[in-house]
Amino acid sequence: MTQGQTSAIDLTLGDLARLEEVVDREALSDVCRSFFELFGLSIRVLSKDGTLLADVHQEREICQYVNRLPAGAAACARTVAQVKTATPDGAPVLLPCFTGGRYRVEPIRYQGRQVGRFVIGPYLPAETRAVPRSLLEIDPGVVDDDALRALAEMPRVRPETAGRLAAHFRKVVDLLLFSSHRAHLTSEMHVASVREGYRELAEKTANLQQAYNRLKELDKLKSNFLATVSHELRTPLTSIIGYSEMLEAGIAGDLAGEQREFVETIRRKGDHLLALITSLLDLSKLEQGALRLQREPLSPKALLDEIVTTFMPRAREKSVSISVDAADDLPAVDGDPVRLRQVLSNLADNAMKFTPEGGSIMLRAVETDLVGGEDGEMGMVLMAAARPAIRFEVADSGAGMKQEELTRIFDAFYQVDGSSTREHGGAGLGLSIVKRLVNAHEGEIHVTSEVDVGTTFSVTLPAVETDL
Amino acid sequence: MQLDFTARELTVKLVYYGPALSGKTTNLQAIHKLVHADASGRLMTLETRDDRTLFFDLLPLSFQAGAGLSVRLKLFTVPGQVIHDATRRLVLQGADGVVFVADSQRAETRANQRAFLNMKENLRENGMQPERVPLVIQFNKRDLPDIRTDDEIDALSQKSPEPVYKAIATRGTGVVETFLGLMDRTWLHLEKEHGLEQKFDLEPSRFLKEVRHRLGFTRRGES
Repeated sequence: MTQGQTSAIDLTLGDLARLEEVVDREALSDVCRSFFELFGLSIRVLSKDGTLLADVHQEREICQYVNRLPAGAAACARTVAQVKTATPDGAPVLLPCFTGGRYRVEPIRYQGRQVGRFVIGPYLPAETRAVPRSLLEIDPGVVDDDALRALAEMPRVRPETAGRLAAHFRKVVDLLLFSSHRAHLTSEMHVASVREGYRELAEKTANLQQAYNRLKELDKLKSNFLATVSHELRTPLTSIIGYSEMLEAGIAGDLAGEQREFVETIRRKGDHLLALITSLLDLSKLEQGALRLQREPLSPKALLDEIVTTFMPRAREKSVSISVDAADDLPAVDGDPVRLRQVLSNLADNAMKFTPEGGSIMLRAVETDLVGGEDGEMGMVLMAAARPAIRFEVADSGAGMKQEELTRIFDAFYQVDGSSTREHGGAGLGLSIVKRLVNAHEGEIHVTSEVDVGTTFSVTLPAVETDL
Repeated sequence: MQLDFTARELTVKLVYYGPALSGKTTNLQAIHKLVHADASGRLMTLETRDDRTLFFDLLPLSFQAGAGLSVRLKLFTVPGQVIHDATRRLVLQGADGVVFVADSQRAETRANQRAFLNMKENLRENGMQPERVPLVIQFNKRDLPDIRTDDEIDALSQKSPEPVYKAIATRGTGVVETFLGLMDRTWLHLEKEHGLEQKFDLEPSRFLKEVRHRLGFTRRGES
């Protein structure tokens, strides 16, 4: 930590590493030029390690004069070297030149540290009248009158004035340094803050991703568990149903009135339980994406007719009318016959459950387009390609549902009537399975409903494309 | 802390932490006003918007502490607003001591707590143990109505492991005491960690006297 300062430490302590990294040399030169124009004094600014950062000077006549003489040139070089290497420690250093001139070397301190120095001069002390002996003796070629004439051109400064000029320049440089340093720190800090913010976000994202992966794994475990349990439950249940049926059929001897009734109940409840377990199994298969569809072209009207035939006995029993509205020449639907029957039966079953006596159920099929992409999505009109499709509708004149219920009915285990004493049975899996089956067909399912008027489910499925 | 043996130069970083608008910048402004002009550099404020600190404020102080030791103190404030957490963490890096500036108003109690937890969290994130960082707590804005009472604060500070100061930073009251309190703890801590006394031949009491003297806090510090 002692010597090799890194930029990290500079930022931590808000320190200035090197004058030249912060200060704009052009600006510094401008300040020096202005100083020179105002006071006629040469000025140079050097960094801590001696790099010349700004230099505005005029070669004085006396300097040109002595440089023409061999010994004079050598002495001049010595003086300049001395000035260049002078390091004022806290206080200014005054360096005399053999010509009688002076150089004033001032430290530049910033935040308690010396970061550089500036040199004013050469100038003549105001009281100088004659050519100093040091100049006359430097070279045998020095002529008193010529030297005096050359010296006359040199600016003369009183010691206290020199101090005031240096103080002024120090203040200007300090202000320049402060502004530059602040700008420098601001930009450094900005970048560092953005980087730190990014690092934090990236870390959080990685943690979230990890948690998400773990949850996905758990979800898979849950589905596996569901599948296994359903399967294991189904095996003994099949036996229970089988033996109940055999008892019912009188294979083990005739049953008396109440005995038959009890066995029938066992068998009926067994069937119900089996249906529930089968839906659980379906759901878990769908969740795992393990369900494979056996797709083939299917006639929409034939599908609906079949459903009506199945539900007709229950409809008659309940005094509900059930009818089909579908043209014979509709294009074929591209679907898995078993799964599509499951979808439509489920919807018809729901309609049957919720339609009161004297109500009606209508099964409809119409030709339509299936447009991919989310409604309102940017550029949807370009991105979504319309495919020919069939829309099936199951409309009832039942109790209907409230708007807030509509958004949740496709969730697994959701029941519109959540009470334990609810009128209609089921595990709340039907519609969630229906939705997943429709999605597996790249189809869409929607529901519209009005309380006391009825509910319409519409399932849109891709038709078999003939013209492609 | 940064130690340069060849230059006999010690740089210490002190950070003013606290919830938004609790008076961190005002503390620095007050110190800047009260300190000897030749010991203080310009108060640097990095980017503000609506009088709120965006990055940090920096007040550099420097003086000769005797025994040829040159001391540089860097006083920083963090931005208090919640969204500047990354910047707060950066400013807190390498802090040798922390002043927690709390807002005395009752309504700000939760904000104080949240900022304090955030400070501990950020110290930890920076690889520092919060319990080991020299810390003093300042209850600022003692002149406002509906504040936590003196009795309440005094009773609590009896049990507090860190010194508690009361201040009205806008008037400069309690600001120097808080600063010197932290300086005291920080020097003792640095002394323990780095053996500064032996290295620089400076007793803690003499060092603190020098700090007060050089910064022009003599009367205040000793009162």
